Amino acid sequence: MSDIIKVDKVWKEYMMGDVLFQALKDINILVKEGELSAIVGPSGSGKSTLMHIIGLLDKPTRGKVFIQGKDISTFTDNKISTLRNEFVGFVFQQFNLINKLTILENIMLPSIYARRKLNYDPKEKALYLIKRFGLVGKENSYPNKISGGQQQRVAIARALIMNPKLILADEPTGNLDSKSGNEILKLLKELNHKEKMTVIIVTHDQLVAKETKRIIQIRDGEVVA
Amino acid sequence: MRYLSFIFKSAFLDFSRNKGRTILTSLGILIGVLSVVLLMALGLGLKKYISNQFDSLGANLIYVMPGNEKAMTSGAGMMGGIKFDDKDVLRVKRIEGCEVVAPVFAKPGIEMEANGNSETGELIASTDEINIVMNLQLEEGRLLEHRDNDKRAKTIVISPKIAEKLFDNQRNALGKTITIEGQNFKVIGIYKSKGGGGLGGSDMDSHVFVSNAAAYVFNTEKKYFAIYAKAESKDLIDRVKKDIKTSLLKRYDEKQFSVVDQAEIMGTINQIFNVLNTVLVAIAAISLVVGGIGIMNIMYVTVSERIREIGIRRALGAQSKDILYQFLIESVLLSIFGGIFGLGLAYGIVYLLQSLFPAYIDLISIILSLGVSSVIGIVFGVFPAKKAADLSPIDAIRYE
Repeated sequence: MSDIIKVDKVWKEYMMGDVLFQALKDINILVKEGELSAIVGPSGSGKSTLMHIIGLLDKPTRGKVFIQGKDISTFTDNKISTLRNEFVGFVFQQFNLINKLTILENIMLPSIYARRKLNYDPKEKALYLIKRFGLVGKENSYPNKISGGQQQRVAIARALIMNPKLILADEPTGNLDSKSGNEILKLLKELNHKEKMTVIIVTHDQLVAKETKRIIQIRDGEVVA
Repeated sequence: MRYLSFIFKSAFLDFSRNKGRTILTSLGILIGVLSVVLLMALGLGLKKYISNQFDSLGANLIYVMPGNEKAMTSGAGMMGGIKFDDKDVLRVKRIEGCEVVAPVFAKPGIEMEANGNSETGELIASTDEINIVMNLQLEEGRLLEHRDNDKRAKTIVISPKIAEKLFDNQRNALGKTITIEGQNFKVIGIYKSKGGGGLGGSDMDSHVFVSNAAAYVFNTEKKYFAIYAKAESKDLIDRVKKDIKTSLLKRYDEKQFSVVDQAEIMGTINQIFNVLNTVLVAIAAISLVVGGIGIMNIMYVTVSERIREIGIRRALGAQSKDILYQFLIESVLLSIFGGIFGLGLAYGIVYLLQSLFPAYIDLISIILSLGVSSVIGIVFGVFPAKKAADLSPIDAIRYE
C-alpha cells in the first residue's frame, strides 16, 4: 500500500517567554493508506502538536510533511484549507460542533466549503450518515440538546461528509463514559476495516491504543516506539 | 447558493441570539440614516415650496431691484440701497415688449385689526397691474382697479385666510373696514388663495394689496422698492431686461440696481438651498460615521466571542476569505437593517410632517441612504472581518 502521510524530520519549537520549548524533535513517521494507528503519549508529550501538523492545522518549524507524496510546505493557505476540507476528517475530544447550527447543518458544514462540485448530494449523504449512526430524529436538534456520545457520532458523521482519506481523532473518547467511548472506538475501527479509511487516533489511554494495529509512542517530543 | 444561504443563516442566527445587541448596533445607523434622509426631505420640500410659490406668480416676469446682482444672492441688496421713483417707472414703461409694469412698495410685518381681531401680514402697494404680475385671481368682490389709485381710495384686497381670521368668514369681510397703523381700509375683494403656509414671511396668503396712492401715508417719499414688469413673451425677456438696464444706467450706477427674471432668482435660491442642504446633510452624516464605529466595535466583540467557531470552520476547510465574507456580510446586514428602519422611520415622520410642510423623500435619498449604509457596513466591518480571517486555524481552535 502507498504512503499516505510522510512526516520527515519534523521539529516544532515555540518561544515560551524567553525559553525555547521544543514540542517535537526530529519526528519521522510513515503512515500507509488504510492503516489504523494510534499516537500515544502522556499529556505534554507533543502528540497533539503532531496531530495538528498531520491534520494541516499547524506548520512545522523545520522538516517537511508529505501528503500523498506532495510537499505541503509549498502549498498556499487556500490550498491547505482545501486539502483539510477534502483530505482530512477531524474528530475532537471537545466534539467542536457549532451549537447554533442543527445536527444536519453541522454534518453538512464541510460541504459548503467544498471548492469543487461534489459528485453526490451532501444532504442525502448527511441523512444517510444520520441513519447509519443512529441519530434519526435528531436532524433538527441542536448539539447541546443531545448526549456526549451522540455529539461525537455527529462529529464523526461531519468528518465523513467529504469522503476523506484520513480520519484524525484527537482523544475521541476523552469526554465520554466508557460505554459511549467503546461505541465510538468501534465506529472508528469499522471505518478503517470496512471502508479502508486511514484512521489515526491520538490518545493518552493505552486501552484505546491497544485497539489499533500500530502504536506510535511519543514522549517529550520524540518517537520512542 | 447553499454557501450563501449558510452564511446568511449563520448571520441571522447570531443576530437572533443577540437581539438587544443587534438592535442597539443598528440603532446608530438608523439614527444616521434618519437624520440624513429627513434633512434631505426637508431641503427638497423647501425647494419645492419656493418654486411652487414662484410658479403661482405670473409668467415672463422681470424684477427691477435695488442692489447689484451679486449682492442679491446674499439678500443684502434687498435692503437699503436706492429706491425707484415714478421717473424710473416711466423709463421701464417705455421699453418695447414690456407689457405690464407695476411699481411696488411693500411694508412687511404690519398689524391688521378689525372686528376686535388682529393678524399680521405684508402690505403691498402697487397699481392694478399687480393683479397680472402676481397672477391674482378673484374669489369675492373685485380686485384693485385703476380708479382705486386715481381716487386715492382707501380700498384693500385681502386673502381668504385673512378674511377668515379677521371676520370669521369670507362673505362677512366685503365692505368691512380694516385698520392698519391707524389707517382705515375698506375691503373690496378677496383673491383666490395662493396656497402654501406654515412658513411665515414667505406665505403668499399673508399679502394684502392696496393702491400706491392709498399707501402714500406709509410711503411718504412716494418711492418704490421694486418695479415688476412682464415681457410680452418668453423670447423677449432677455431683450427687455437689457433695454431696462440700459435705460436705468442713465440714472444709476451699475452696482445700484439689478434686473433679473424668475429663472435667475430661482437659480440663486436653488444655489443657496443646495449649499445649505449639503452642509446640513454633511453634518448629519457624521452620525452615520459614529454608527459605523459602533458596528466596528460590536464586530470586534463578535469576532472575539467566536474565535473557536472560526477555528472549527477553518479546520473543516474554510479558507480565510470564507471567514472574511461571513463577518463582512454580518456587518453589512447590521448596517442595512439600520438603514432600512431609518428610512422607514423617516417615511413615517415625513408623512406626519406633510400636513405642516411639503417635505418629501425622493429616489436619490433612498438609493443614497441604503447605498451609504452598505458602504459603511463594508468599511467598518472589514477590519474586524480581516482580524477573524487572519486568525491562524490552530490558535483559533485551541482558544478557550
